[in-house]
Parts: sequence; C-alpha cells; structure tokens
Amino acid sequence: MEERKSAKSAYEAYLGRTHFLGRLFTVIVLLLLLAAPFVIGLYLSAAPNVPACLKAFLGVGLVYLISGIVEYLIYVPMLGAGGSYLAFITGNLINMKVPCAINAKDIVGVKSGTPENEIISTLSIATSSLVTIVVLALGVLLMIPLQPVLQSPALQPAFANVVPALFGAMACKYYRADRKVALIVLTVMTLLFALVPSLIGSTSMMVIPSGALAIVLSYLSFRKAKKA
Amino acid sequence: MELLSKLNSPVLYLICGAIVLFVAVICVVFAVRAYRMGEAMGIDRGKMKRVITASATFAVLPSIGILLGVIALSGSLGTPWPWLRLSVIGALHYETQVAEAASEAAGIGGLSAANMTPEAFATIALLMSFCIIWGMVLMIFNGKAYTKRLQAPAAPKEKKNGKKGLDLSGFGDIAMTAMFIGLVSAYIASYIGTIVSGAGKFAFAGTWLPLAVAVIAAAAMYVFLKIKEKTGAEWVDSFSVAGSMLIAMAAAILLGRIAG
Repeated sequence: MEERKSAKSAYEAYLGRTHFLGRLFTVIVLLLLLAAPFVIGLYLSAAPNVPACLKAFLGVGLVYLISGIVEYLIYVPMLGAGGSYLAFITGNLINMKVPCAINAKDIVGVKSGTPENEIISTLSIATSSLVTIVVLALGVLLMIPLQPVLQSPALQPAFANVVPALFGAMACKYYRADRKVALIVLTVMTLLFALVPSLIGSTSMMVIPSGALAIVLSYLSFRKAKKA
Repeated sequence: MELLSKLNSPVLYLICGAIVLFVAVICVVFAVRAYRMGEAMGIDRGKMKRVITASATFAVLPSIGILLGVIALSGSLGTPWPWLRLSVIGALHYETQVAEAASEAAGIGGLSAANMTPEAFATIALLMSFCIIWGMVLMIFNGKAYTKRLQAPAAPKEKKNGKKGLDLSGFGDIAMTAMFIGLVSAYIASYIGTIVSGAGKFAFAGTWLPLAVAVIAAAAMYVFLKIKEKTGAEWVDSFSVAGSMLIAMAAAILLGRIAG
C-alpha cells in the first residue's frame, strides 16, 4: 500500500517536472525560432517587413491558427504531456509523430491517458524526433557538395514551381475526400480570377473566401446527411 | 545568386544548426527522464527498448521524405533555413504555402531564387516562424490544465432545457478537410486564371507551366495513392507528397524549355 502510494507520488513529481521542463524548453525554442529571422536579417543587412508579414498572416496564417488549435485539442489526449511538448516543438505531427506514437502504443498494448502511455509516448516521440534530426543533418551534409548543381540555371524551372507541385499533390489528396465541394469551389474561384485578374497577385488572401465557401458547402451537406 | 550563396553560408548553418542541436538535446533529456521513470514504475525494459527500436525504424522513411522536402525548398531559400524548419516544428506542405504567401506580401511575386531579396527572405522566414506557433503557445499556457483534465473521468453532458440541437460531432474533421480544399482550390484556380486572363482579360495567353506542373503532381500523387490502396503498403504515405512534388519539379525542367 505504502509502496503504491510512493510510486504514485513519484509519478506525480515526474509529471510536474515534465510540465516545468516542457514549458521552459517550449518558451526557449519559441523565442529562438522567432529571433532567428531577425538575426539572419542582420547578417543579410535587411529586416523582416512586419506589415507584409501581418498581411500574409491574414491570408494563409489564419488557416494554420485554426488547424493549430484543432491539432492541439485532438493530439494532446493521444500523446500525453511529455509527448505533446516534444511533438509541438519538433513538428511533423500528422505525417510522423502521431502515427509513430500510436504504433508504439499498439506494440506494447497501453491505453491512452494512463501513466504507461505517458512514458511510451514520450520515448516514441523523442526517438523519432532524434532520428529525423540525424537523417536530415546527414542529408544536408551530403547536399553541401551538390550546391553548385542545385543552383544551376537548368534546374531553376523546377525550384520556381515548388508551389504548384505541392498544390497539385495536395489537390489529388483532398479533392478525393469531397469531389462535389472541390468542383464548386474550384469553378467559383477560377471565374473570380478570370474576371478580376488583379486578384492573381493576392492569391494567399483569396484563401479566406475560398476556405469559407468550402466550409459552408461542407456544413450544408453535413446537415443534410444528419437530417436524412 | 549572390544572395543564395549567403543563404548557404557557414553563418546560416551555424545559426540554424545551433537551434537544431538544442532541440536534439531536449529530445535526449525527455527520453532519458521517461526511460528512468518507466524503470521506476516497473515497465519492462525490453518493452521500452522495443518502443525505441520500433520508433526509430518507423521514423527513417518519413525522415527521408522530409529530407526530399528540404531539397525541394533549398533552390529558393538555401539549404540551412529549410533544414531548420523541417527539423523543428515544421511540415513540408505548411512551409511551402506560407513561404509563397510571404513572397507575395513581400512584393516578389512568388517563391523563387531569381526574385529573392534579403528583405523578402527575412519576411518569409518570420512568417514561417510565426504562423505555426499555436500548438506551442497552447502547450505553454494550457498544456498542464488540459492534460490534467484528460486524466479525470469525463462527466456526462446534460442538454440545456432538453432542447435538441444538431449533433456536430464528426464535423471537425470535415471542416478541416474543407478548409484545405478551399486553400488548394484558391491556388489551382489562380493557375487556371493566369492562363485565361493573366496576359489580358480572357486573352488565353498566360503561362500554362504552373498548371501543367500541378496536374503532373496530382497524377503522380494518384499513382502513389493507388499503389498504397492496391498493396496496402503504408510506407508509401511517407513519400507520396515529397515524391509527387519531385516528379512534377523534374517535369518542370523539361516543360520549361517548351514554354520558353
């Protein structure tokens, strides 16, 4: 009985310290990440254009504000305290950290919300983060001698089209989820850009009406399905 | 190109590398603490070692996919910055979209090495850093309270005045997908709009290259998804986005010669 009590209090002390360290490290990383553009700007003899940043944030940033809140609400219960601090610091949640932690949980058969899950999830996310850091560092090291090739003019059309390549791949993935909504939104937005060509230069701002239209259409179809 | 050399200089590697190293130390601290606590709690060491091995092997393929993302972004942003962003906090789809939006706002039109200026780069870097901080911010201010609440058993919810509203459970995922459909549609529509009215309203003389690249990327993605569906190979997911992008970017080199 005494032993169980002391194990419980040791775990509670561990959790308390996890929150303390998690908050401390998160604050430090956050400050480092926000300071880095200014430090690099100093090196380049330029400062970030903050008004332009805020303008761009109103376009594409709001999408990530909402998705950040949703990710927080959904993934923290799965990952536990330690795992969540690490996962939000190291990123790549959906494509790696969450499936990796779930895989680890399944391997040893622990339940969400238990002390065992807290330990397993933290171990899993810390390990996968370290592997990513090592693989990327080795890859970047190997890329250094390739810099002249990567900067050659012949390859520039490839790098100038990174964004269309990304959106093409994502369109295939997301359009399959709701073809009807995708078709309507794409048609409306195409007409808008064709009729008002000056909007083409502000596509990131047009994400707001486009996203709003997609959400309204999805809600209407969701409501119809629920009532049926 | 001189700017690109600066973006690949040892100073940038040092700044970005120091942050990556700090994050690696955090991971080690958390892993060691968790392992020791696991031992104290009586969790079988073999189990914990299996978790470490399984997580390490699980992470290799997605990490190579992420590395391909670093290569994709290195042509316009240099190597150290995408390396930092994708080692810490970021994700390929997020970084590319935000960098594109910041390029527009900074007045260089789009993400490209040819038009990049030092101010535009600093602006892009700041927006990339700022837009994705929300998970971290919520963990700082609410993480402790939220995880504590999750440990307590959930109380059954009572309906106010017995009124029946529309049950919105399940709409969260749908709304997220819709949001991304909206985001992708805005950009794809802008490529079609460029062909139709980019060189004069309804002149149909604008550049077709971005749309062609997007279509090739979509086709490549379709093939990846089909391979996964037919074979059940989950690993395909790790490469599908980065792989589709690289195939479409390679095609852009050939198509760029035709487009002139």
